[in-house]
Amino acid sequence: MKAQPRLRLRLSVAELVLVGALALAILVMAQLSPQFLTVRNLFEVTRFVAEAGLISLGMTAVILTGGIDLSVGSILGLSAIITGVFFHAGWNVWLAALTGILAGTLAGALNGLIITRAGIPPLIVTLATLAIYRGLALGISQGQAYRDYPEGFYSLGQGYLGPVPVQLIVFALFSLVFVLLLGRTVFGRTLYAIGNNETAARFSGLPVDRVKLIIYSLSGMLSGLAGVIFVSRLSTAKADAGLGYELDAITAVVLGGTAISGGQGGIWGTLLGLFIVGIVRNGMTLAFINADVQLVFIGLILIAAVTLNQVLRRGRR
Amino acid sequence: MAESPQTPPLLEMEGIQKRFGGIQALKGVDFDLRQGEVHALVGENGAGKSTLIKILSGAYQPDAGTVRLEGRAVEIADPRQARALGIATIYQETSLYPDLSVLENLFIGHQPRRGWGRLDWAAMRRQAREVFAQLGVELPLTARLGDLGKAYAQLVEIAKALAQHARILVMDEATAALTADDVERLFGIIRGLREQGVAIIYISHRLEEVFRVADRVTVLRDGERVGAEPVAEVDQDWLIRRMVGRELHTLYPRNYRPPGKVLLEVRGLSRAGAFEGVDLEVHEGEIVGLAGLVGSGRSEVARAIFGIDPYDAGTVRLSGQPLPPRPWAAVRKGLALLPEDRSRQGAILAMSVRANMTLAVLPDLQRGGFLDEAKELSISKRFIQALQLRPPNPDLPVANLSGGNQQKVVLGKWLATEPRVLILDEPTQGVDVGAKAEIHQLMDRLVGQGVGILMISSDLPEVLGMTDRLLVMHRGKIVARLPRGSAPDVVMRAATGLLEEAHVR
Amino acid sequence: MYVDRGRQISIAVFLLALAGVLLAAAPSFFSLGNFKDILVNISYVAIAALGMMMVILTGQIDISVGATLSICSTLAATASKAGLPLGVVFLISIGAGAALGLVNGLLVTRFKIHSIIVTLGTLSVFRGTLIYFTKGAWIYQLPEDFRGVGLGTFLGLPNPIWAMAVVLLAGAWVLSATPWGRALYAVGSNPDAARLSGIRVPFVQASVFVACGALVGLATMFYATRFSTIQSNTGQGFEFLVITAVVVGGTNIFGGSGTVLGVALGALLVGVTGTALTFLKISAYWEQALQGLFILLAVAFDALRSRRRTRTGGGG
Repeated sequence: MKAQPRLRLRLSVAELVLVGALALAILVMAQLSPQFLTVRNLFEVTRFVAEAGLISLGMTAVILTGGIDLSVGSILGLSAIITGVFFHAGWNVWLAALTGILAGTLAGALNGLIITRAGIPPLIVTLATLAIYRGLALGISQGQAYRDYPEGFYSLGQGYLGPVPVQLIVFALFSLVFVLLLGRTVFGRTLYAIGNNETAARFSGLPVDRVKLIIYSLSGMLSGLAGVIFVSRLSTAKADAGLGYELDAITAVVLGGTAISGGQGGIWGTLLGLFIVGIVRNGMTLAFINADVQLVFIGLILIAAVTLNQVLRRGRR
Repeated sequence: MAESPQTPPLLEMEGIQKRFGGIQALKGVDFDLRQGEVHALVGENGAGKSTLIKILSGAYQPDAGTVRLEGRAVEIADPRQARALGIATIYQETSLYPDLSVLENLFIGHQPRRGWGRLDWAAMRRQAREVFAQLGVELPLTARLGDLGKAYAQLVEIAKALAQHARILVMDEATAALTADDVERLFGIIRGLREQGVAIIYISHRLEEVFRVADRVTVLRDGERVGAEPVAEVDQDWLIRRMVGRELHTLYPRNYRPPGKVLLEVRGLSRAGAFEGVDLEVHEGEIVGLAGLVGSGRSEVARAIFGIDPYDAGTVRLSGQPLPPRPWAAVRKGLALLPEDRSRQGAILAMSVRANMTLAVLPDLQRGGFLDEAKELSISKRFIQALQLRPPNPDLPVANLSGGNQQKVVLGKWLATEPRVLILDEPTQGVDVGAKAEIHQLMDRLVGQGVGILMISSDLPEVLGMTDRLLVMHRGKIVARLPRGSAPDVVMRAATGLLEEAHVR
Repeated sequence: MYVDRGRQISIAVFLLALAGVLLAAAPSFFSLGNFKDILVNISYVAIAALGMMMVILTGQIDISVGATLSICSTLAATASKAGLPLGVVFLISIGAGAALGLVNGLLVTRFKIHSIIVTLGTLSVFRGTLIYFTKGAWIYQLPEDFRGVGLGTFLGLPNPIWAMAVVLLAGAWVLSATPWGRALYAVGSNPDAARLSGIRVPFVQASVFVACGALVGLATMFYATRFSTIQSNTGQGFEFLVITAVVVGGTNIFGGSGTVLGVALGALLVGVTGTALTFLKISAYWEQALQGLFILLAVAFDALRSRRRTRTGGGG
């Protein structure tokens, strides 16, 4: 298996499995609902995918280094609240949004600092900061919701550019950046080296701790951006925004074939994973199948995909 | 003590053969062990000692040959069966649980029980006290094993074997991690066990220990038994001659040149518990050997110089400039370290040859924010050619290469940084003969270009044949500085602690 | 048996310090009634945390416990409303938990998939299946005997406190006095050595998920019975509460070490900080942030301590 991902059209076995699953999902959904295969609807799918998707991009990078970030959903909520608070304090709404994203970045950087300095496993650190960041959002807002943003702000989460939802463009842009960052840069190469063999990376003189710090900061920044889009889409900022998003993001990343132990996988897989989840949800919604059954299917797809992957990998040995 | 020669020995191994891929590790080895004797097994690294022991402990199956216990042929299919037969191997802590108490480490997996599937702690404590009484030591039964020192872990391993009624105890480099006092205590315990009829196979690089504790000694060389005598009838020269065997000849291609100015200068480097007061220099165009036994602190010194591990005191200078203890700083300034553990520290096995070879020069591959793949390819192709990598495919994962070629990839990674000083830690370990010769030629070529090399090797002929001069470490200190052409037995004496304070300039 | 006193002492010290602050600022905290409330509130967390601790001891994790709790709640309440005797209701809840745990355990050991992924998947499957069958409907009008389990008292103490005490004591006994209990520590501490010692590692790894599920099923009986309704989304975020109690209590997240006393203290810390903040008139909205901070401090303290103990070594 090739470890370094590039902008390539040759797909690995794992990705072929996913493309197959995606095609199957589209076919089944098209059968379930006549509205499914319309351009308008397909764009609608992406509207929901954008927030979880932005988070998943950062999560992919984090998991590639062998770490995990459980605090992303809480950072989303914190950024949403910060955005709301600063806007209601009289700031320009875009400046407030920028502050929200900055807060997310700082929260992520704090995760990275604790992980690299104190040497505590990422699972534990981000489990604690999951509570802290969500708690900060709750504490700052005192449970209050922040509404009434200027009309222009809603364009981010509700507007269109031609037929394309605005947040899809944002998401596509960041996806491209991450594909290039992970696949085509020195930084990306370092990331894969750390995930495959952190000891050897250190012995090669690579700046392991600095790269990890940047990765967790990026994860925080993207969660912050997702928080701003969340506020814009729902016209309101509440402390419980993004609750449980960490599981959605991890599901997309793992479904996309990125190894939970790090070093293997990439953004393309995550995008496939995201769209499978998005399409299953959207198609089933259109077919009036409720959210819980969708949940079952997503769980089953996750377990089946990973199991199939494992069996195929063992078969090749 | 040893019984009469008429009764069959407790253990007989006859004509044992074992082959790994292209290497015949054991070529029909005989070995026997009598009740109540301490039988030392000596030989250089790769002589076949550990293979023989792994066959005895059930970890490997022999290709040919028989094992007899008390005259009865037995097959030892796995480690559990070996233990059931009363054969216990004292591994270096690997079979212990650091998180569990001493008491539990003794009994886990075969605990005495009471009714209802309950553990019988009282019985465990009683048996543990018996075993420790037998050993003549006292240990806190409830202490966490990981909190005790290595010497205690060793004792626990021995006690664990006794608790399982072992008749044959295999001790592999049992003293490697112990202090002098602990070694004394261990010897006392070994003698006590011998009195009680336990047979002990004692493997050690430290020849002085063999003379102090063993009754008989068997020497292995290149997978063959080249001597087996009562210890009382041999001396150290005999042992060393048998171990080293072959003459050192032109196997090692060196063109000696006068060394140039100082490149690497280490002064008073110390870290508590690892090494102390290490002074060394490496000049332009010379290969300096760093010899010593496994555990003598050689690799620790190398890692500290490179900045991977911290040190408490001392300075490291490269071309006169102080070198901060950070690996990336070392790489930038022209220092490279080929680490001893190739698959863990050296290569990233899942990544391709080209990715591995450019890991240390990644910052130079930056072009307009992107990784310059053309440059990456040209660098890797250059070193694939220079090192004659086989197969010469830059896109192959390193895991798919042979050991020798994996080592060439790691070497290529460091050569790409154009180092001024190269530290090689066991560069030819687990490397086939052909690749070994190629690595040696490369080393000579490099020093010809003015590079300085510090070479660590457990392979005595290699380190004598390749180096301009030799530093010998023993228990964390440099105990001898020997010129080119020193006799192997002098090195061996220094490394085993028989030549303390003999600084030959 | 080795006990990590360091973590327990640091929790105890922290609790004492908190008690001092409370004594000065809110003496009403120290009432028997309030202590009972705290203990009742942590009882089901502590029982489930014992199961989670077993899983973590072997170096794994189970994040599906919240979904398991909600399935067991629904099944138990439904069974009770159907008129089944209380004993059978208990068995149904525990059995259902054990069965769900078996699913996790088999997926982890048969297909060698990391337990995070498996339980992340089953978390969705369990919860989704439940809501599919209940159609999201809440269950009202629970029978008296059912609610009596959680609200009743025995010898003056609420039933959940008794249950927690008995379960934790039994758990401590099983973990210290049975071969299975000791095998958990061995598997988490050194899996290779455990295999060489003749311990059936896959069996142990699967069995802890069953034990964890069964304990969540038992915890359910002291959780669901305290409310007048069972919501179909009950138990959301439960996994974080339980993992927190275990990890704060000093159980090593990579397996091999941890004690029941630590779990009890971890659960107590989670419960006391919440209540104390209320008594100190700190807005409930800040509770989660402060709790998270306490957890981080406890863990960071421990990490720095053990970092000093172990240094990278090896080589020659």
